[in-house]
Amino acid sequence: MSESRQLLCEMANGLFSELAEVGFDNAWPRIEEAGFASLLIPEEQGGFGGDWGDAYAVLRIAGRYALSAPLGDAIFAPRLLMEAGIKPPAGLIGLARANGKVGYGRHCGCVILIEDGELRLVEVATSEVVEGYSLAGEPFDHICPGGAPLASAPCAANLIAMGAFALVAQSAGALDAAFQLTLEHVNTRVQFGKALGRFQAVQQAMAEFSVEAAAIDAAGQAMAAALDKGNVLDDGAAFEIAAAKLRANMAIEKCFPIAHRLHGAIGFTIEYALNRYTRRLMAWRGDCGNDAYWAGQLGQHVSKLSGGGFWPEITRRSDAAGSVV
Amino acid sequence: MQIFPIRAFDPPGDVTRLREQVREIIRQHDHRWTPEERCNPWLKCDARFSRALGDAGLLGLTWPRRYGGQGRSVLERYVVLEELLAHGAPCGCHWIADRQTGPLLLRYGNELLREKYLPGMARGEVFACIGLSEPNAGSDLASVRSQARRTPDGWVLNGQKIWTSNAHECQAMLALVRTDPASERQAGLSQLMIDLDLPGVTIRPIIDMTGEHHFNEVFFDDVLIPFDSLVGTEGEGWKQAMAELAYERSGPERYLSTYMLFVELVDAIGADPPEPVVQLIGRLAAEIWTLRQMSMSTAAKLAAGEDPVIEASIVKDLGNAFEQAMPRLIQAAVDPDLLAGSALERMLAHVLVASPSFSLRGGTPEVLRGIIAKGLGLR
Ligand SMILES: Cc1cc2nc3c(=O)[nH]c(=O)nc-3n(C[C@H](O)[C@H](O)[C@H](O)COP(=O)(O)OP(=O)(O)OC[C@H]3O[C@@H](n4cnc5c(N)ncnc54)[C@H](O)[C@@H]3O)c2cc1C
Repeated sequence: MSESRQLLCEMANGLFSELAEVGFDNAWPRIEEAGFASLLIPEEQGGFGGDWGDAYAVLRIAGRYALSAPLGDAIFAPRLLMEAGIKPPAGLIGLARANGKVGYGRHCGCVILIEDGELRLVEVATSEVVEGYSLAGEPFDHICPGGAPLASAPCAANLIAMGAFALVAQSAGALDAAFQLTLEHVNTRVQFGKALGRFQAVQQAMAEFSVEAAAIDAAGQAMAAALDKGNVLDDGAAFEIAAAKLRANMAIEKCFPIAHRLHGAIGFTIEYALNRYTRRLMAWRGDCGNDAYWAGQLGQHVSKLSGGGFWPEITRRSDAAGSVV
Repeated sequence: MQIFPIRAFDPPGDVTRLREQVREIIRQHDHRWTPEERCNPWLKCDARFSRALGDAGLLGLTWPRRYGGQGRSVLERYVVLEELLAHGAPCGCHWIADRQTGPLLLRYGNELLREKYLPGMARGEVFACIGLSEPNAGSDLASVRSQARRTPDGWVLNGQKIWTSNAHECQAMLALVRTDPASERQAGLSQLMIDLDLPGVTIRPIIDMTGEHHFNEVFFDDVLIPFDSLVGTEGEGWKQAMAELAYERSGPERYLSTYMLFVELVDAIGADPPEPVVQLIGRLAAEIWTLRQMSMSTAAKLAAGEDPVIEASIVKDLGNAFEQAMPRLIQAAVDPDLLAGSALERMLAHVLVASPSFSLRGGTPEVLRGIIAKGLGLR
């Protein structure tokens, strides 16, 4: 890990652990002040000059502490606007899903929508906001733009893929947190005269859990590394993001029941921390492309390559030397 | 904590050329291979192909030149392996010698053993098998009972190995045997390199449920083995064999055994496949890609001199589950009538039956998960 990433992670760990149980209103000013919005802005333009690996690492930590803020949007929106030649307005900028929903939409100053290759930056104040919640209890609002956009520009970015990137990272972190919590639980909870973790059935379930937590994290890191190959991959790592999000969804499917099974009733309470991770994981699994969405995208793509074409394609992509432009 | 920090996989040299070299050799031979031979290809034998790889300098790739190797990096070797498997090339003859017997001889073997076996292995002419399991020593390998007695003329071995893959194609076996008759469990075990043409060695086929003969029983009846055949240190066999297993667990063969099914599936379904099949292809692609990242990352850790025991077990457990599930998922999703007469139909018929073995060889899921649980501090 580079030294700058290590420092970044230390900072994020320190801050997000303090904000773990803090609601959006009190958390957001501290996150904003820490300057994550400039993470992906080049140093020449006054930014942090981070890469996608840095973004992955920070978002993973956000997931680890179940941060109550849309950190992914906060990091990606300024970068998108920079690439589109639009100066980012002050305040939180949200990224709209295809259905017009925006995480923490009511708290945003502006929202970015991309449709038919055009990016529009719209003010929330002039939009209709239909409030709603994700199944994790996070604000998930429908934003229907009212007036003319503040700015617009041609844009090839794919907001679903960007959102998926953030969710893979956050899910890897949240799954890790749920895993650690479960490990602690089976080490301390005693039944039949010994810690649960001493029973082979429990050990085997924990091993299965860790294997999936490993898979999601490996997929996530590899996805970020692919994006850092910059223009070497002609499609912005579309394949790797799709594969990582789908694999993440599969890991959640396997681990969610294990975490709750091994916790017993205590894990089902609102006070106990587990639900802060598992409810988010369940929400994220369905957000920015569920299994069917990404399996469809990938399946179509691979079918067009022909059977013998898939292997040369994935080896070409991983062999490509990294070059960030 | 990060459960699986990935490590960049950066082989030296021109990787694209290396891949092309392997693909070219495969193209010269693949017309001879049946659909069944292209599935589970690191078990299927084609001695001619193994020799061709040896001639091309692609076996013993990492070994020193003086033993017939090429002195290249273990990551280049990884690239060669994944190319072979992803194209369904039958590598059963040389696989074990190249993967573990050769490296183990390099690490622990005396000069005589190295000179005797390594050059032939690198040429693709000398093949070796694994003599670990016995009738009463499966997962519980420390129950090994085959016993080598020290006599003035050499070791005299009595006992039996079982499930020995391709023993009938091999010239030698690296066996774990008890050299201290009074010992129990892990203590008193040693590794011997045994020529299978020695008097007193009997190899009997065991036919597996696909109807094929690839594994065997091997009996030792007062087999006289030269002292020089001791590999490493007397009594250290357990430790050495465990090191041997580390070469085994995280390689690309742990998730690519059924890769050719995927290739044929994509080709068989045509340009406008039904949605459930598209979905299945997407899911399989995501898993293949993820497993490849994990396996490559573990290889990079091994190359850097680390000892990724847990990672290796994770890769094997996940990889085996995947390659086992693939044929069942394909059977569930694809209309069998569309496959009539196709290569996929034959491969599927073969692999559906062959796949239960994938998670047994090299350690069962329960054993691997036990290792992982130990790594988690649970046992
Ligand atoms: C195709 C194939 C090729 C092989 N090739 C070779 C070879 O070349 N050389 C060689 O030496 N061996 C070889 N083997 C043998 C292989 O290593 C063994 O099959 C394996 O170690 C399991 O041993 P076993 O078959 O005796 O099963 P057992 O050990 O009897 O296990 C049966 C079941 O019990 C479970 N079990 C066992 N112990 C425990 C425990 N403590 N806790 C929980 N569950 C447990 C196992 O996980 C398994 O599910 C091969 C096997 C196969 C299938």
